[in-house]
Amino acid sequence: MINETLELPRKTPAGRSSGDKIQTVTSSTFTRLVLEAEGPIVVEFMSYGCAHCRAIEPVLEQVARMVEPQERIFRVNIAVEQALAGSYQIQGTPTLIMFLNRNEVGRVEGPSPTVSSVLTAVTQPFES
Amino acid sequence: MNGGQLPKIQKQPERILLFNDECAVCRHIGHWVQRSARSKSGETSIIVQPIGDDPERLRSLNPDLDIWDAYETIHVLMPDGSMRLGGEAVAEVLRNLPNTKWLAWSFATTLFGIRPFQVILNVAYAILADVRPLFGCESCGKPRVLRPIEWVSKWAKTLLGRDPHPRPHFSSFSAARRRPLAGPRELLPQARHS
Repeated sequence: MINETLELPRKTPAGRSSGDKIQTVTSSTFTRLVLEAEGPIVVEFMSYGCAHCRAIEPVLEQVARMVEPQERIFRVNIAVEQALAGSYQIQGTPTLIMFLNRNEVGRVEGPSPTVSSVLTAVTQPFES
Repeated sequence: MNGGQLPKIQKQPERILLFNDECAVCRHIGHWVQRSARSKSGETSIIVQPIGDDPERLRSLNPDLDIWDAYETIHVLMPDGSMRLGGEAVAEVLRNLPNTKWLAWSFATTLFGIRPFQVILNVAYAILADVRPLFGCESCGKPRVLRPIEWVSKWAKTLLGRDPHPRPHFSSFSAARRRPLAGPRELLPQARHS
């Protein structure tokens, strides 16, 4: 009655991909990749321990695929980049900041984790 | 990112328990396991580590280990490269602690093809994982049991004409442990703060 084999397959439960479309930027690469880049840039200020960031991650990946190559989406891990988060007065995560030609043109805090709302959030500021 | 190449796996002779350091419940349990796993001679049967913020470091422990998944459910990394998750991970921990290893038989016992004690443990873990925000877990979000209340609240606010958008999550470093978040505003003078 004893089952000695309790092996589980080497798969994680959600089976997520590791997110290739959203590149992580750090304080050392932020200026070059975000502020000095041409065209619309979206930066997600997030934390891996944040449940809302976890919920929005696959949606943002999907949106990143939809808006490329016109827009690029980057990620800043504010648990690591605290000075960067402080300089942009990040109050909570996830916060999406839209940049165009070095300037912040839009900001959305805690968007609903749906493709339509995130897509609107990351495209609308660049249309006006 | 590592250019698509899998990182080298760090071979570990011991089991590694990963816990969410931003969750008070997980932190207490992690520290309890750490204390309990240490024998009188100083050896430890389980290495306890916070999940941390580096996805690549986790992949170096196991290429299949995704940081988002690590925060979603408890993981125990086995010396053979496999992983135990959720209730199975809890059972693996209990099986390897000197004070609780006598429980090992119960989790392995099968009855009509199922392991009843393991099923109970799985359910208990699922409930604890769901209600842990009640005990202080800023990184877990709201427990599912509170979601209907949140839904009613959201629609009540909508009907009353208030902002129905969800509040952003405030992670723990901004609240307590990793303060201060505030950095020099002059770091990026080009930014326009709204």
